Amino acid sequence: MSSKPEKGLISSLWEALSSLHLTIGLLIALAVASIFGTVIPQNAAPEEYFRVYKITTYKILHILGFLDMYRSWWFVLLLALLCLNLIACTISRFRLTLRLLSRSRKRLEDPDWNSLSPKKSLSLKGLPAAWISSIQAGLAGSFRTPKNLDEGGTVHFFAEKGKLSRFGVYFVHLGVLVILGGALIGFFYGFRGHINLVEGETATRLTLRNGGQIPLPGFDLKLEQFTVSFYSTGSPKEFKSVVTLREGGQNIRSESIRVNHPLSHKGLSFYQSTYGVAGVEKAVLAIQEKNSGKEHLLEAKMGVKTELPGSHYAFVLTRFIPDIQGLGPALQVMSLDPTRPHENFFVLQNHPEMEDRRAGSYRFKIREIVPKYYSGLQVNKDPGVPLVWTGCVFMIVGFYLTFFLSHRRLWVRLSTQGKDTLLEIGGSSHRNRIAFEQEFERMFQGLREELLRPGKHSKEREEQI
Amino acid sequence: MISSKFVTAVTFLYLFSTVLYFSYLSFRSKKLGNFAFISTWVALALHTVAILSRWIESYRLGFGHAPLSNMYESLVFFSWCITFIYLLWEVKLKTRIVGAFAMPFAFLTVAYAALSPGVSDRIDPLIPALQSNWLHAHVITCFLSYASFAISCGVSVMYLVKAWREKSGQPEGTMLSLFPSLESLDTLIYKTIAVGFPLLTIGIITGSAWANYAWGAYWSWDPKETWSLITWFVYAVFLHARFTREWRGKRTAILSLIGFGAVVFTYFGVNYVLSGLHSYA
Repeated sequence: MSSKPEKGLISSLWEALSSLHLTIGLLIALAVASIFGTVIPQNAAPEEYFRVYKITTYKILHILGFLDMYRSWWFVLLLALLCLNLIACTISRFRLTLRLLSRSRKRLEDPDWNSLSPKKSLSLKGLPAAWISSIQAGLAGSFRTPKNLDEGGTVHFFAEKGKLSRFGVYFVHLGVLVILGGALIGFFYGFRGHINLVEGETATRLTLRNGGQIPLPGFDLKLEQFTVSFYSTGSPKEFKSVVTLREGGQNIRSESIRVNHPLSHKGLSFYQSTYGVAGVEKAVLAIQEKNSGKEHLLEAKMGVKTELPGSHYAFVLTRFIPDIQGLGPALQVMSLDPTRPHENFFVLQNHPEMEDRRAGSYRFKIREIVPKYYSGLQVNKDPGVPLVWTGCVFMIVGFYLTFFLSHRRLWVRLSTQGKDTLLEIGGSSHRNRIAFEQEFERMFQGLREELLRPGKHSKEREEQI
Repeated sequence: MISSKFVTAVTFLYLFSTVLYFSYLSFRSKKLGNFAFISTWVALALHTVAILSRWIESYRLGFGHAPLSNMYESLVFFSWCITFIYLLWEVKLKTRIVGAFAMPFAFLTVAYAALSPGVSDRIDPLIPALQSNWLHAHVITCFLSYASFAISCGVSVMYLVKAWREKSGQPEGTMLSLFPSLESLDTLIYKTIAVGFPLLTIGIITGSAWANYAWGAYWSWDPKETWSLITWFVYAVFLHARFTREWRGKRTAILSLIGFGAVVFTYFGVNYVLSGLHSYA
C-alpha cells in the first residue's frame, strides 16, 4: 500500500477546493440556478404547473428538483461546496497573511529600497544620531511612533498601520458561513405555522405548515379584539390584534400585534398576517311600528332573543349572509309575535324598500352590522435568527476593513554621508496606492518642514560642531 | 402638485447637462466641461428641492412620509443618487469626462418617472407593511448601491470603447484623447463597485431585517430578494475574478455590464415580469 499517490490525490483535491476558480464557478452556478428559481414558480399547486407546462416537462422539472429548487439536493450541495471552498481558502490563505504580517521586514536593504514606491530623500546636516527624536516626532502625527532600530552608523525606522485591513476578507467570509449556519439552525430547529382566531376565542395550539398541530409551549393566547382602519383614500392604514397571553389561567401580558410590530414570547413570534369577517357580532336596527309609525332604535346580538321595549314583540337574528343574490348583506330574522305564528324573513341592508312589501306589524331597517373578525396570526420559531444577524455584522465590519482601510507601511533610513546624514523615506500600501501617495506626500512635506525649521536645529548643529 | 413640476424641470436640466457633457467630449473645450459641471450641480439642487417639497406635500395631505415608497418616488430618488454619487466622483477624480457616461442614467431614470404614463406621481398613504423605519435604511442603501453600479457601468462602456478603438489600431480619436488610461478606467470600475457592493449588502441585510419584522421571515426566496442576491453573486464574481490575473480588463468590464443588467432586472424586471411580495417598487 503506497501512501504517496493517495497523498497526491488529497493535496490535489485540497488545491481544487481552495481555488479561486471554484469560487467563481460556484457563484456563477448559484446565480444561474437562482434565475431559474425566479422564472419557474416554486412550490405551486400541480394544477398551476399544468397550465404552463406539458406533463412531461412538469415531470422532468419535478425530478430535477426545479419546483422546490432552493431545497433541492443539488442547490444545497452548491451552497455546501461554497462553504467548503470558503473554509479551504481561509485555511490556506490565513497562514500566509499571518506570516506576511509577522515577518514584515523592519529593515530594508538596498534592492528592496529601490523597488519601494513612493520614496523620497533629504540631506540633513550632522550625524544620524542627532536626528532620531525629531524624526520620530515628525512622523508621529500620521503613523504611531516609528520604531527605531539603531545599528552601527545607519539608523532604521519602521512603522505600519491598518494591519487589520488584511483580515477584512476573513471577516466577510466568516460572516457568510455564520449566516448559513444560522439558516441551517432555523431549518432544523425552527418551524412556521399559523393561528386563526375569532374575537373572544383562545388558542392553545398552532397549526404547522404541513397541517400538523402543536401546543403553544406553556401558555395560551386569547384574541380580545381585532381592528382594521382605513385612510380616506380607502387603502388600509392599520391591522391590529389585541391579545392576552395567559399561563395557567393567569393573564400575564396584554399586547397588540400589528404589521411590522410582532409579539415575541417564549421563543415564538406572532405576526399579523391576515384577517377576515367570521360572522356578525351584533346589529343596530331601527324597528318601526307600522300602525303608529313609532320607531325603536336598538342593538341586537346574534342568536339572542331581543324584546321590543313596551311590547310583547320579540325577535332573534338567526343568520348573517354577506351577499344575498347580489343584493348585498342581509340578516335572517325570526320574529316571535305572541299573537301570530313565528315567521322567518330576510332584511336587506342596502334595500330597505323590500321591507315595505312584507306583511307584519313591524318594519325592520338595518342601520349598522357590526362584524365579528377573525385574525390570522403567523407564528414562527427560528432560533437561528441571532446567528444570522451576527453574520451580517461580521460581513459589514469585514467590508469596512477590506474596502475602506489599507495596510500601510513606512520605512526610514538615515545613513552617514561624511559629516552629514542622508534621510531616505519610503512607503507601501497594499490597496489604494493613489490615495496613499497623496498621504505620503503630505507627510513628507510635514516632516521636511519640521526638520528644516531653522530655529530648532541650528542649535543642535552647533553643539555637534 | 408643485413637486411634480420640479421633477419635470429637473428632467430637462439633466438632459441639458447630458448634452453639455457630450459636447465637452466632442469639442474638448474646458469651458463646456465646467459649464456641464455647474449645470449638474444646479440640477441636483433643484432635484433635492423637488424631493423635499414632495415630502412636505405628503404631510399636507395628512399622511406624511418620506418620498421613498412607490415606483415614482424610487425612480426620482434613484436619479438623485446617481447624480449625487457621480458628482462626488467628479470632484474626487478631477476629470469631467465620465459625466457623458454617467449622466444619461440620471436623465433616463428621472425622465421615465416624469414622462411614463405607467408611473403615477400620486402621493399615497403608507400601507401597514411599509410603515417601518427599515424602509428608509433599506431604500437609501439599495439606491446608493444601484447608483454606484450605474456609474461603474458607464465607466465600463468607456473602457470597452477605448479598448476596442486601441485594438483596431485607429489613430487616437478626437473623443478618446480625453479618456483616462485603460488602467485608470479599470481601477475606477473596481472602485465604484467597491463602494456599491458593501452598500448592496447592507441594502439586502436591512431588507431582510425588515422582512423579518413584517413578514416573519428574513429570507423567503421572493423574486425581488432572489434577484438582489443574483446581482450580489455577479458582483462577488467580479471582485473575485479581479484577483486572478487573466480576468482583468475587458472581462471584468463586461462583468460589470452584466452586473448592472442584473440591477436593472432586479429593479424593473421583477416588477413587470415576475410577481411577488415586493410589489411597491
